[in-house]
Parts: sequence; structure tokens; C-alpha cells
Amino acid sequence: MINLKSLINFFLIMGEITRLFFQTIAASFTRPFYLSRVFEQINVLGVGSISITIVIGLTMGSVMTLNFGYGLMKFGGTMYVPAVVSLSLAREMAPLFTSLLIAGRIGSGMAAEIGSMNVTQQVDAIRALGTSPVRVLVVPRFWASVISLPLLSAISFIVGIFGGLVVCLHEFDMPTGFYMHKVTYTVQMADYLGGLIKSAIFGGIIAIIGCYKGLKTRDGTRGVGLSTTWVVVTSSITILITNFFISKLFIVFWG
Amino acid sequence: MKERREKILKLENVHKSFGSKHVHRGVNLELNQGETIGLLGGSGTGKSVLLREIIGLEFIDKGKIIFKGQDIQNLNEKELQKIRLEISYSFQSGALFDSVNVFENIAYPLFEHTKMSLNEIRSKVAEILEMVDLKGIEELMPSDLSGGMQKRVGMARAMIMRPEIILYDEPTAGLDPTNTKNVVDIMKKMTCLGYSSIFVTHDIPAALELCQRLIILNDGIVAFNDGPEEFKKSNDPIVLKYKQEVHYAGSEGEK
Repeated sequence: MINLKSLINFFLIMGEITRLFFQTIAASFTRPFYLSRVFEQINVLGVGSISITIVIGLTMGSVMTLNFGYGLMKFGGTMYVPAVVSLSLAREMAPLFTSLLIAGRIGSGMAAEIGSMNVTQQVDAIRALGTSPVRVLVVPRFWASVISLPLLSAISFIVGIFGGLVVCLHEFDMPTGFYMHKVTYTVQMADYLGGLIKSAIFGGIIAIIGCYKGLKTRDGTRGVGLSTTWVVVTSSITILITNFFISKLFIVFWG
Repeated sequence: MKERREKILKLENVHKSFGSKHVHRGVNLELNQGETIGLLGGSGTGKSVLLREIIGLEFIDKGKIIFKGQDIQNLNEKELQKIRLEISYSFQSGALFDSVNVFENIAYPLFEHTKMSLNEIRSKVAEILEMVDLKGIEELMPSDLSGGMQKRVGMARAMIMRPEIILYDEPTAGLDPTNTKNVVDIMKKMTCLGYSSIFVTHDIPAALELCQRLIILNDGIVAFNDGPEEFKKSNDPIVLKYKQEVHYAGSEGEK
């Protein structure tokens, strides 16, 4: 049962996360800039996640195609499979599943890294040396995440389409030309763009929640463990809820 | 006759609580230019907290901390960052950044706050490492260093910006006699160079050797504030109790 204390605590955490977000944005556009650290983080967070993104994209595309294919076959609708799969991938599945997966990988990683720094007083050392932990630790991770997620989501989409193509070719004898024509005809620029924007927003959510919990980590190694679990759960739930509202917005404005 | 020196730091009626625990109940303290004071007291009396308050890592509940005429409590984070270049903090654990080597640890404030070239920074780091008797360890990682070496690297990092005040948080804690002597020798060098410092310690012989004044924190207030000779001769019950607690054999001889 939710009591008043946990409700107040929830709003306090939401407030602190929002404040960290605005501090991050403010620090992003004032000197000093840490561009090299952003690229370093893109390498760690983005490039390091490519292999797992390929696996999830391929799995999503092929499994969806398989299920839709046999499902629609009963009604003679196999030819609609490329349209359904590609549209789902572009609008929802690629950004959402890639982000959820990346939340597990990099969100927990951020919380663990910054949390360990916090419990060993390295974050205090950053402050004591006249610099800001938000600027040094959060800003590079935030932008690396915002930049990397749409790119990873795009990879996931492309690989997913390829996975669907392979299944369509082997299971439903669908010609490659027909499949590709259906995909390019169905998925419009707004669908691609919507997916990319969503991914960027999810990237920001993952980074801010991961860094927030890292900076709040206490109680040594046990605290670090608890923080990583909290980040995965919280960012996944936040992504899922945010996804609904963004999807609704896109449908209202872009159709 | 005692030399009259300028007061550079003044704590007035400082109060601090953590929940129901009152750590400071009106601490008054002054630090003169070029002076080293020893801050003594049992565990949990708020010695390290006082250092953190001075550098703005903790906020006080009531009172004033005046450095060069400005109350540190009234400064925002950006203004505090400037103050932290003039007051540096040497952490008890060293608090070295464990993902970068010794050079990058010590050079961190120089990269952040100066426009020095890489060669200038290299020579400055080499110079300060020589001063702490750790010549040629620039490429080593913090995990490759012993506890004593980590503390000395932490001290080197705290000194590299040539601050006006250095706050040492138990720099000799947990060290063997050889490492303790090394650390005390470094602090002596800094005192000779005219730096002001506050030395939190339980090591009475080291404090007597280094400090012009000793302060005992007890029950949230300054219970003793006088020179080393007066400390040795003191029959104040709090001083005697503290000497007994830390097994200071020297106190018996002085009676």
C-alpha cells in the first residue's frame, strides 16, 4: 500500500531528477565544454552497444515476421506482413526495445560507475578541485546517450527489416523486390523521424536517471548494487510510460 | 612576542546536525596566514565534517565561515568553485580517480583551470611528484600504489594549484612509521613554504611536531585551543581524557 511518506519521496525524487536535467542542459551550453569526453562516452555507450543492438534487431524483425506471417496467412494476408512489420519496427519496436535493452546495459553502467566514484569520494574530489560533477560526469553521458540511441535504433530497424526479409524469403516465398517495395512504400519519413526522436528522448531519460542515482549512491558496494537495479527498473518504467504519451502526440500531430 | 599574522579563515558559531545528531553546537575557530593548526578530537566529533564545511562540501545549519571577508555559506556553486582553488582538501583516502593514471589525477586541476601547455603541465606534475618523494610514477594507476603512496598523490593533487589553505584529513591514518614520516615531512615543507593548513589527526606526536596551535573538538564545541607546549602541560580534564583515549604516552612524561 502506498503511504504518504513514499508518495512524498516519489515527488522529491522526480523533482531532483528534473532539476538534474535542467542543470545538465544549462551546463551543456556554458563553458568549459568537454567534447572529447562526449566522444569518449559515445565510444563506450554507443559503439559498445552495436553488437547487442544487431542481435535484438535481427530477433525482433524475424520473430515478428514469423508470427505475423503465419497469423495473417489464415486470412490470406501474407502480403501485408512487410508493411506491418516495417511500420511497427520504425514507429515502436526498434526505438522501444533498443532503448529498454540499452537502459539495462548503459543505465546500470552509469549508475555503477558514478555510484562507485561517489562512495569512494571521487565525486567529492571533483567538487573539491573546483569543478562540477554535473559538467564533468553527467553532461558527456547525457549527450552521448542522446546521440547514440537514435543511431542504435536505426541500426536495429535496418537489421530488423533484413531479418524480416530473410524469413519472408524462406518461409513465405516472397520476392525480395516485393518485400522492399512494400517496406519503402509503407514507412514514411515521419515514421522514421518519430522513431529517431523517441530514441533520443529515451537516451536522455536513461542517462539522467542513471547519473542521478549514481550521484545519490550511498552505503558502499551494497549501495552501488541497489542503485544499478533501481536504475534499470525506473528507466524501463519511465521509457514505457513516456513511449505511450509520445506515440499519442505523434499520432495527433503526424497521423 | 608572538608574530601578529592576518586571519584568513574564521568560523563563527558554526552549528551542524545530521538528523537528531548535533555534530557542531557553536564551533569558533580562526586560522592565521601561514599557520598550521591541528584539529583533534575523538571519532565522530565532526573534525572531517568541519573540513567539508570549510570547503563548501557540506552546508552548515547556523553560523558563518568567513574566508577573505566573504561568508562561504552565501556563495553559489560557481562562486564556491573559485574558493576551492584557494582552499584545497586532501582526502583521508586520497580519493584518486581510479580510472586514470597518476599524471592525469594530479594534472586534473591544471587541465581544468589553467591554459598551460601539455609540456608545462608535465613538468609541473613531475616537480610536485618530486616534492612528495614519488618521482617517476606518472604512468602508474592508483590501484598500483600502496595506501601511503595514494595519500601522497592525493596531497600532491591538492597542492598543485598552490592554494592558500590546505585541509588535511587524517593524512597519517593507517600508515606505517616510515610512510607517516614521509607525509609529515611533506607537510613540514608546505608549512615552511608559508601555506596555511588545518590538520585533522589522531596522531598527537605528528600534530605536536607540525602545528603552531592545537584544537580539540569535544561535544560539538572547541574544548581546547592553544599551543603545543600548553597542550603538553594541560591538566584540563578533556585534554587528559583525549590523551588517554589515543594512548598518548608522551602526556605522562610531560606531567
